[in-house]
Amino acid sequence: MTMLRYVIRRLVLAAVVLVLLSVAVFAATEVLPGDAGDVVAGVDASPEERARVRAELGLDRPAVMRYLDWASGAVRGDLGTGFVGRRAVADVVADRLPNSLLLAALALVVAVPIAVALGLAAGMRAGRPLDRWISGVTQAMVGIPEFVTAGLLLAVFAVWWPVLPQVSLVPLGASPLHAPEILVLPVLTLSVVGLAAATRLIRASAADISATPYVESARLNGVYGLRLAVRHVLPGAWGPAVQALALTTAGLVGGTVVVENVFGYPGIGRELQLAVAGRDIPMVQGIALSLCAVTLVTLLIGDVIARLIDPRGAA
Amino acid sequence: MSQSIERRRFLRATAGGAVAVAAGSAFLVGCSDDGGAADPAAAPAGPKRRGGTLRAAFVGGGAAETLDHFRGPTPMDFVRARAWHGALGNLDPAAPDGVRYGVLEGIDVSDDLGTYTLRVRPGVRFTDGSPVTARDVLYSLAGPAKSSPLPVYKMPAANFDFDRARAEGDLTVVLPTRKPIADGRLILCQGTFLVVKDGTTEYSTRTPTCGPFKLTRFDPGQGAAFVRNDDYYGLALGGGPYLDGLELRSIPAGDARAGALTGGQVDFAHDLPPVTARTLEADGRVVLTPTASPYLVGLSFRMNMAVKPFDDPRVREAFKLAVDREGMVKTVLFGRGTVGNDLPSIGFADYARDIPQRAYDPDRARQLLREAGAEGMEVTLTTGPETPGMVEAATLYVEDLKKVGVRAALRELPAGQLFADFPAYTRLPLAASFHVPVPALSSYQVTTAGGAPGALGWNRPDVDALVGQARGERNPLRAQEAGAAAQLAMWRDGNTVLPVFKPYMNAASRNVAGVADDLFEQFPGFAQASLQ
Repeated sequence: MTMLRYVIRRLVLAAVVLVLLSVAVFAATEVLPGDAGDVVAGVDASPEERARVRAELGLDRPAVMRYLDWASGAVRGDLGTGFVGRRAVADVVADRLPNSLLLAALALVVAVPIAVALGLAAGMRAGRPLDRWISGVTQAMVGIPEFVTAGLLLAVFAVWWPVLPQVSLVPLGASPLHAPEILVLPVLTLSVVGLAAATRLIRASAADISATPYVESARLNGVYGLRLAVRHVLPGAWGPAVQALALTTAGLVGGTVVVENVFGYPGIGRELQLAVAGRDIPMVQGIALSLCAVTLVTLLIGDVIARLIDPRGAA
Repeated sequence: MSQSIERRRFLRATAGGAVAVAAGSAFLVGCSDDGGAADPAAAPAGPKRRGGTLRAAFVGGGAAETLDHFRGPTPMDFVRARAWHGALGNLDPAAPDGVRYGVLEGIDVSDDLGTYTLRVRPGVRFTDGSPVTARDVLYSLAGPAKSSPLPVYKMPAANFDFDRARAEGDLTVVLPTRKPIADGRLILCQGTFLVVKDGTTEYSTRTPTCGPFKLTRFDPGQGAAFVRNDDYYGLALGGGPYLDGLELRSIPAGDARAGALTGGQVDFAHDLPPVTARTLEADGRVVLTPTASPYLVGLSFRMNMAVKPFDDPRVREAFKLAVDREGMVKTVLFGRGTVGNDLPSIGFADYARDIPQRAYDPDRARQLLREAGAEGMEVTLTTGPETPGMVEAATLYVEDLKKVGVRAALRELPAGQLFADFPAYTRLPLAASFHVPVPALSSYQVTTAGGAPGALGWNRPDVDALVGQARGERNPLRAQEAGAAAQLAMWRDGNTVLPVFKPYMNAASRNVAGVADDLFEQFPGFAQASLQ
């Protein structure tokens, strides 16, 4: 299969998955207690008033029809209007999603080189003390929730030794990059989580490659250390590692929900939390669908890169 | 916090106003919104410097924040609007009329107290260059206010007959009263009534305004940015704004507001939680400026008298007796507050201070509930973090109610949501609230005229009449008597449990001056603020 056909096939599959996810998102918001009519009419509205608002919003129509309306709007880029503040959902996504992607990207920039180094070091010495130490630490790090990591970092770098801001206040109308100091703690928090997960995945891949006759042969020929890692282990481990990193990246985007709320960072995760708290159903649907799309695209990119690195996976 | 000391301080301030009148030289300063009163507690010494951008943090209202101040219920909405629009005037106990005029240069009252003549200050302009006229003032008072869900904007209509109001020429508004009013200036110039251009219905950065600052950016839930309005009339009078720019930022968490202040991200933090404020006391980088009496915020719970069993006065009495007020001051406010007596406006001159303090009496509360057949009743108290301490006070109150046999539950809404849908709020059976510091008669009229307790079932024409009588009385003693009688009825039969008052625990960097000069601490204002 050529790369083009592969990419087209994956895009079609991604579109199908996105449709299924959109059904899941719509269904999930349907089964939440109350409905949009309750939110708009007010918590203690009379049954008549609630019925009137439901009719105005079209909530008295069958769920399938409402889903089709919503989905067709989404295809055209119209994700509807939020109940709270009457903001266009697409505008909110366009405004906030780049901020979250920036956090995830910076976290990858920090985490990947370290994860590759640690993963290779541990994988090439599988079962030895260094491997056990790295695996133990990363296992513990994976188990620590983001809000705990964020709290510890805040306590150290914003309170005890106040060198970094406690709140990620982005200058109004500017990119977060205009105040890079506000990114440090959120990025570090996300990096810790991403680093641990990526290290473990790369370590597993490196350990498999290190056990192959090809690498054993290199060792017997006197190739050790960094040269062995870069020339013999890494090329073989790179394909699975990229896919693993794509998974990690998707996890990082999800992780921004927690991190953005802890630091008050204006990203899509914070908007999602506010929308859920305010029962702003169109906003929840739009943001959730956008996050699904980002995850699918990330995984697709990871798979394509992995295939470019190692075409043997074409079968 | 000692109530008697607070009252003495307030009376001293009032006496200071009389001295200012006698001195005459203070008259011009007192009459203008732009002279700025001294704020020795907070302001560094010396003349105010011009320049710089002040950044201030508030609780905010999340995505529900709006530029339409007729629909924005949070302190952030109000502060933003006051930076953007010119006010008719502000309350000022030290000024001759009890107010400091702004867009108005004066208010004349007819001998029969039946007509108020508002004189618009000549030369005041909107940012599009057009002059502020009597028609704009009339529209601002009577137009959008009619459809506003917020009680505060309905109060003028309860006192003035806008159907008969008229603009005479460009600079005169004639307002007939519904019945004689002696203190109408305090109604019109309480700092809340802002002037927008005649016919304004939509609000954006392009909206012409006449306030001290021009809005350059607004991100709901994030903040608003302003630059100085160089055509602001106050500048010509020698006052503020002194700042080149102003940024108002939404930071819902109190400790995060404090962290942003100590971290140098903002220069001013509004309404910090008591425990956070305590940690700032020893921080040399900032100055803690808690508001003093009468500028205290009442934390309260309102029973909906239209919902059973709150239509029964015994149940309402039981709910008032059930709350441990001293415990709430200690636990929720860490001692930084004072016990309330189920009436707002403590410390103001018209507050009925002779009404006995209601005790904590859970046994009597249980007995009253039994007599009313409401033993074991179920109720949900709805609250939200609109101001620090609100959720904590509600949590404690729910526990107090459980102790008297009420099956009480707490429902906490996110910040900015409790009042966002005001009609829905007024239908709640039991809801938390907070009272901004305004005089007692105005507080009563804001709520009754605006439909807060009214929609929660309060319908007492006799009390309305007493308040009207107090407002129309020229003799201060008789006005006090009528006002006190109205408050006694509220205290006895009302639907408000107001167990504690707290100061706004504000904090600022050491170089910030003049914040309290703007509105006498009801809310922070930045038209007279400077960065020294």
